[in-house]
Order: sequence, then structure tokens, then C-alpha cells
Amino acid sequence: MFEPATEAKLADHCTLCVHRRGILTGQAGQYNHYVWDKSIPNVELSPLCSPNFRPGPPGEQAQVLSQNMDDLLKTSGCINFEDLCICPGKLSWVLHISLVCLDYDGNIMDACVLALVAALKNTCLPAVTVDEETGDIKTDPTTHTPLSVACCPVSTSFIVFDNNILLVDPTNEEEKLATGAVTVVAEGSNLVSIYKPGGTPLRDDQIEDCIDRALERSLEAARLIDDTLCSIDR
Amino acid sequence: MGDAGLSEAEKTFILHSVQDDFREDGRGNEDFRHMELETSLISNTNGSARVRLANTDVLVGVKVQLTPVDPERPEVGRLEFFIDCSANATPAFEGRGGEELGSEISAMLTRAYAFPGAVDFHSLCVLPGQQCWLLYVDVLLLECGGNLFDAVSIAVKAALFNLKIPNVTMTKDEGGVELDLSDDPFDFKRLDVSGAPIIITVNKIGHYHVVDASEKEEECSLARLMLGVTEKGTITAMRKEGSGSLDPNSISDMMEVNTRFLCLPGI
Amino acid sequence: MPLDTRRLTGPESSQSPYNFAPVNKLDLTQLDKRPDGRSIKKLRPLFLRTNVVSQARGSSYIEMNETKVICAVYGPREVLRREDFSLKGQLTCDFKFTTFSCRQRRQYQQDSQEKDLSVLVLEALEPAVCLHKYPKSQINIFITVLQHDGSALSAAITCASVALASAGIEMYDLVVASSAAICGSVTLIDPTAQEEDALLKATVKPDNNAGSVTVAFLPSLSQVSAISSDGELSFEILNKSMQECVANCQKLYPVLEHTLVKHQQELEAGRS
Repeated sequence: MFEPATEAKLADHCTLCVHRRGILTGQAGQYNHYVWDKSIPNVELSPLCSPNFRPGPPGEQAQVLSQNMDDLLKTSGCINFEDLCICPGKLSWVLHISLVCLDYDGNIMDACVLALVAALKNTCLPAVTVDEETGDIKTDPTTHTPLSVACCPVSTSFIVFDNNILLVDPTNEEEKLATGAVTVVAEGSNLVSIYKPGGTPLRDDQIEDCIDRALERSLEAARLIDDTLCSIDR
Repeated sequence: MGDAGLSEAEKTFILHSVQDDFREDGRGNEDFRHMELETSLISNTNGSARVRLANTDVLVGVKVQLTPVDPERPEVGRLEFFIDCSANATPAFEGRGGEELGSEISAMLTRAYAFPGAVDFHSLCVLPGQQCWLLYVDVLLLECGGNLFDAVSIAVKAALFNLKIPNVTMTKDEGGVELDLSDDPFDFKRLDVSGAPIIITVNKIGHYHVVDASEKEEECSLARLMLGVTEKGTITAMRKEGSGSLDPNSISDMMEVNTRFLCLPGI
Repeated sequence: MPLDTRRLTGPESSQSPYNFAPVNKLDLTQLDKRPDGRSIKKLRPLFLRTNVVSQARGSSYIEMNETKVICAVYGPREVLRREDFSLKGQLTCDFKFTTFSCRQRRQYQQDSQEKDLSVLVLEALEPAVCLHKYPKSQINIFITVLQHDGSALSAAITCASVALASAGIEMYDLVVASSAAICGSVTLIDPTAQEEDALLKATVKPDNNAGSVTVAFLPSLSQVSAISSDGELSFEILNKSMQECVANCQKLYPVLEHTLVKHQQELEAGRS
């Protein structure tokens, strides 16, 4: 209706990511303080998507994922936060990013990152004018400028079976049986982050293998996102 | 609602009594119980009322407070309902037991009062675009003896009728407006409640329609229709409750039963 | 609102850009054509699909142009708390708008409107489910509104009843819901969010009708399982629009039947 929305689907797993824009009014001089607060991602693992989740406040997994998304946004440099500034020291955009899981069948991290990036690339900001004398704010929802997204980070998750078999894109069932997991976030041919939350220790060559596969996949996925966005008429 | 723990035989007895238009306590199907209404009984509130309908006992206090206006509707004041289901009323309300019923009642009241003519919302606005009165309507259930919704709505209307809103004077200052509250306790205005709705519940017991059901009768009814009605005969909110379903024609009939009680909102 | 410590919270003072945008008013009484080009008596096209959530026992997705609702059914599962045991099965419903579903951003926590809607959906479905067949167990229904463009309650009820049926829960009948908005002498069937909004802000004379009604109907038993109305309406108009909603529910029934037949065929194809 009003908001850009994208749906990333990896087999039986959908995550819907939608940005809701808000205008932030800040006090002069506090501009720098707000730089890091201009995008707020939250992952919702609602009880709708899997019998393992209960209604109520988000569980540990959802909290960790939200934090991961936040770190990714801030460290990968895919959005230039200065672009979100409308009137220096006074007015800025704030991106409320909600990632809602609709069907949980494993590998939530990859789906979240895909949805996040695709939604960012699809985000349009309405034109805003500020009257310098009165300070009145006016928005014109009919004209939009697309948000510039500098790069396209792609996450690739692997799980470890029997201490030496590496499997990419695990399903829910596979995740339960796994002895360890590793997530590599790559952007083009660059590495953004590696996340290995405990589990089976991996050898150097195994990690390198993961990174190689992730880099290869990141190019493919980025192309896929671009193709998809091109096919939407706006 | 309705947890009197009736046996099958008792239920049949009530069913038959409704069939004969002669209920357990001697009333006909469309008779209300004797009602006691008392207003202005708590001095710390701006308006209060207590309604006793046989065993049902409800106390309502209204407090007013100045708040910034809702940016979406800058020219009107607001009403908020809170229901406290005290464990005195029934043991089932202990802990969080009464929460669900409480939110149901407040949702129904909110909806019934959500139309512009309910009370004079414009008179509740002190400074358009800035300050308005927020009326906190707190309902305390003291005893449950059936027909809670109706009793609560009557008590709410009576408390609003009894409401004294202090007069506020505005003085324009440089750079802002100052609000002054007068010290005189007799310097107040009343709220016009002639348009305020009350809720009337019609229970379907067997094939018959019964108003002002007691707790026992409520347990025998599978479906009931609750309507917020005003003196003018308009319907401001409608809801079906209970696990049964109703025939469309039966709903029309029940609505008609309802309109026969239009004299009630005038109290 | 209690502070949410388990989510990332943004600055408190942010506002939606639409608060600063010019408002174009829609006058419902002087309407020759609705903003989306429908006539006032026309329903929006209905798109229904089952089996959208792989992890759920039953699920469905409904789309009425821009109103999009997804629903999943889990259970029957065991009642965990001992005091909640009953010989009749229990039905629970959790209704949630996603934060981005409406024009104004919503909160993550369930607000009072969502709680009210949960109860209404539950009351619409309860008469249709054979709860006595599920002693000591509960059936959970989760409804998420992805996009709200009016008539979300009726979409949710219809969606949930299809999800229950696709989960193989025994039912007396399906539940179909339909809604109407009334402004003055005009009755708009299946209103959009823009029309519902205009209704709230409409400045009608005190004696005029302005309100909305939602009816949930069991088509083959010809019974109304839930009815709810808002706003000030006269008895005659309410009665008339209720009949209209019932007629519309009858019209939608074949779509539900068709969806479920297709669901069954897919199941059988999957088995063989």
C-alpha cells in the first residue's frame, strides 16, 4: 500500500521485511549522537511461524537476530547514514525495520539478511521540505527518492554434521541435528563478518572452504536481488 | 460468564420457566429487576455512581485530568474506561482471573461511546490543538449477580451525569497560554449525557428472549446479543457473545426486544 | 507503555512523514464512484490459499486487494496447566497487526484493539468448531495482518475458518465474514481503510447514521455466529445492512469451498 515490501523465500521459509519510515526531530548539537540510532531492525519470530515459539516478548533467538541485523547494518556500510539526514542537526529519517518470519524452516539468518537488503534497496523516501523561518515540516508523498544502498551483503550459513560434513542452507530439522554452525556474511568479493556461535571446532581449511563458497554465493544472490527489483514496476 | 454450577435438572427448570414467561423470581421475560441507583457518593472523585441490580453491584468513579490533545483529533476530549474485577465479587476473579472480563467490558464501553454524539466531546476540549480533559472512568465490580454489562453501563452513564468538571480560565501570556483552575469548588460545569448510550443484553434461552438475566439464567443461554442503545433509539454498538450461533431473523427479533427498552437510557 | 527491553527501540520522538502530508478528504455521502473504482455494492475480489506455513497443522492466506492476512492453526495440543483442563476443547486466538500494516506504525506489543479483535474472531469461530471432540486439549489460532486496507476483521475470520478446516479440525460449518460501512443513506460494502477512516472523521449530523458492521455467518446452517457494529446506527439501517452482509457471505462461500477442495486434491496428489 504505502511501504516498500519484499519477501525473501528460501524453500519453505519466508521472511517479510518492511521498512516503516519515521521522521526524527532531534535537538541541534545532538546530531552525532543520533547517527547510530537511525535504523532500528527488529526480528519477529511470531508463534505463527513455528510451534516452537510462544506469544509474548521476543525470545533469545529473536533478540540475537535483531542484534545481528543491527550490527550488519552499521558495519557493512550498505547505507550511508548521512543520506538519512534531512536538515543537519534538526531533522533526520529513522528507518524502522521489521522482519517478520512467516514460516520457520531453518536458516533464518540468511533469509533475514536477504529480505533486509532487498527491502532497503526498495525503500523510497518521500520528499520533505522544511520552512526555514517557521520550522514547519511538509512532506509530499507523491514524489519519492530511492534510498541509495551502497552494497549488498549476503549471508551464507553452514551447519556441521558429524564434526566434518558442512551443509549449506540447513532446514529446521537439520539445524536440530547439527553439532555446530557458522555464518559468513560476504559482500561481492569482500568479507563482512563471520559468526560462529560455539559448537564443533572447525579446521582452517574448513573455514576457508566456507568463505569461498559464501563469496561465490554472494555474487549470485546479489544478482538475484537486482533482477527481482528490476522486475517490479513502480 | 455464568458459572453457577447448575445441574441438568436445574437448567431444565429455568428453561421451562422462561417458556411460561414466569421466571424463578416471578418476573416475566421482558422485566428488569428492581434497580437502586445512587450518585455522588465518593467525594474524591469528580463524579461517581453506584448501581445495584438485585445481586449485581457496581461502583463507578470518574476523575478528570488535563492532557495534551490527540494530534489526530485536536478538537475533542477523551474518555477512557478501566474495569476492576475485584476478587470480592467472585473468587474466580482472584489474581488475573478477572482481566479478560474486564477488558471485554471496557472494549464494549469504548465502542458504545465511540460515536460523536455520545457526550459533548467538544466541550471537553480546553484549548483546541493543545489541552483537553481526559475522563478516567473507573469501574469497580463489587458483586456479580448476572447482567453485568447493563449494570456497568447504567452506572457509567449516571456517574458521567454526576460529573463536575472544574472551569478553567485561560490567560494569554507572551509566548504561551496559561491555564488557571479556580479554587471555588462550586465553579464547575456539567457534562451533557443525553446522548450517552447504555448497554442492553438480550439472552436467548431456548427459543425465548430474556432481558436482565440472573447468573443462573446466563448459564442456560448459549448466545446473547449486547447492544448499546441511546434514548433516540439508535444503536451505537452491537456484539454477539456466547458459544452459540443465531438465526438472522432471531437477531432482528432480539434487536426489536431491545428497542422496547428505549425508555431506559433516559434514567 | 512499559519499556521494551528485549527489542531494539528507536528514538521516542520520531513521527510518521504522513503527519506532515496534506490531507485529502473523502466525502462518503457524495460519492458516485469509490476511490478504487468499485460500485458501492461490490465486494473486492477474494484470493485464498491454504498450506502457506509449512510448520503449522493448517494455515491459510487471504488477500482482498490490499488487505492481506495470514493465519496458522496449531494443535490440538495438550493443555499444560492443570486447572485449565476441561472436557470441552479450548480455542485460543492471537490477533496481531504487523508494525507496518497500517498507515501509522503500530507497536510490537498487543494493544487493546488487537485484544478486542482476538475475542471477536474467537466468538465467530467457536460456534463452528466441534469442541466436544477435543477434550483436554487446546487449539491455537494465530492471525497476523500483513497489510490492512479495511475489513481486516472479516478477512481474519474467513481466513481462520479456512485454516481450521485445512488443519482437519472437525467443524459444523465454515465461517464466512463480511463487512459494510454506513454513512448517511449510503451503505458501502467491504470498505477500504480510506473509507473507514473517512467514516471516523465524517462530520454527520447527530441524527444521521455513521458506523460499520461486521457479520460472521455459517452458510450451510444459515446461522450468524458473530455480529459486531460500531458507530451510531438506526435499527432499520442496521437490520438492512446485516441482511446485506449475510447475502455477501453466501456469495463468498463458493470461493472457500473451492479453496478447500483444491487443498484436498493437493494433499491426495502429494500422497500418491
